[in-house]
Amino acid sequence: MTAPFSNIMVVIAAYNEGQVIASVVAGVVAAGYTAVVVDDGSRDDTGARARQAGAVLVSHPINLGQGAALQTGIEFALRSGADAIVTFDADGQHRAGEIARLIEALAEHPADYALGSRFLGGAVNLSTARRLVLTAATWFTRFTTGLALTDTHNGFRAMTARGAAAISLRQDRMAHASEILDQIARSRLAYVEVPVTIEYSEYSLAKGQRLSDAFAILLDLFARRMHR
Amino acid sequence: MIGQFFLTAILAAILLYAWSAYRKAPVIGLASVVIALAGLYFVWMPSQATWLAHHVGIGRGADLILYTWVLISLLMLLNLHLKLRAQAELVTKLARAMALAEAERGSR
Repeated sequence: MTAPFSNIMVVIAAYNEGQVIASVVAGVVAAGYTAVVVDDGSRDDTGARARQAGAVLVSHPINLGQGAALQTGIEFALRSGADAIVTFDADGQHRAGEIARLIEALAEHPADYALGSRFLGGAVNLSTARRLVLTAATWFTRFTTGLALTDTHNGFRAMTARGAAAISLRQDRMAHASEILDQIARSRLAYVEVPVTIEYSEYSLAKGQRLSDAFAILLDLFARRMHR
Repeated sequence: MIGQFFLTAILAAILLYAWSAYRKAPVIGLASVVIALAGLYFVWMPSQATWLAHHVGIGRGADLILYTWVLISLLMLLNLHLKLRAQAELVTKLARAMALAEAERGSR
């Protein structure tokens, strides 16, 4: 583990991931980190399997969305005294072996946020259509936040406790990926991009977002700005 | 004449609604005020409504007023939508507080 951080917690938001959650948690635990699984009101046995695999479990009583689950996990980790927090997908897209790379980037840069980029790293089985939408989303986010990033919708990130405390996600559903960058830009804390591998499997693609969701995300972001 | 007073009363109520909405959702409040004031103007100056309607390519002044009503209804719908979102945010906070309390009890 990297020297300046002694209590690294990996937050995993999971909704109906019973099939894969155990192996994802096992990977994180084997890499030497505390896995915090936020079970977002799953109807299957995601929670029980995560706990069996060695995760600390936080359970939403009802399904709220991935953004809400990440925020809950971040708050839990901060309250538990974490000094670095990693967000990690529950569907097996990310590699636990690459967590160290993000943590090292926090320490070396030094930065409060280390953001994973599949376009600096690698994307396995990324379709052309998905690549196009991601590129459009990246340009949109660059325009609205002013952050110079190569991959804006990547759920693989690490942050210091100070960085995590500056984040307060109010977009419960999928628009949180843009919201988190918005808040990073506003916090004026240092960030660094780190190449990571995103592995698209049949399972993750079936669970993942469809292209039509991009429209719903734009609506969510717009509505957020209209109401206090 | 009765129709004019009736419409005036309703539009005045909308102005009050807009004023109360302004604090929470300034965009909705302002748009409602503008549209309600325009409605009041047209109710009392139907000839001007007809004149303006012709200018923007709408047949009659009455139609213009009708469209104004539709706009007001849509704004109210949007405002309702925003209120629902605010409610959802409260539910999230409540559920999160429950989840965290439960997890902390479990780890002790």
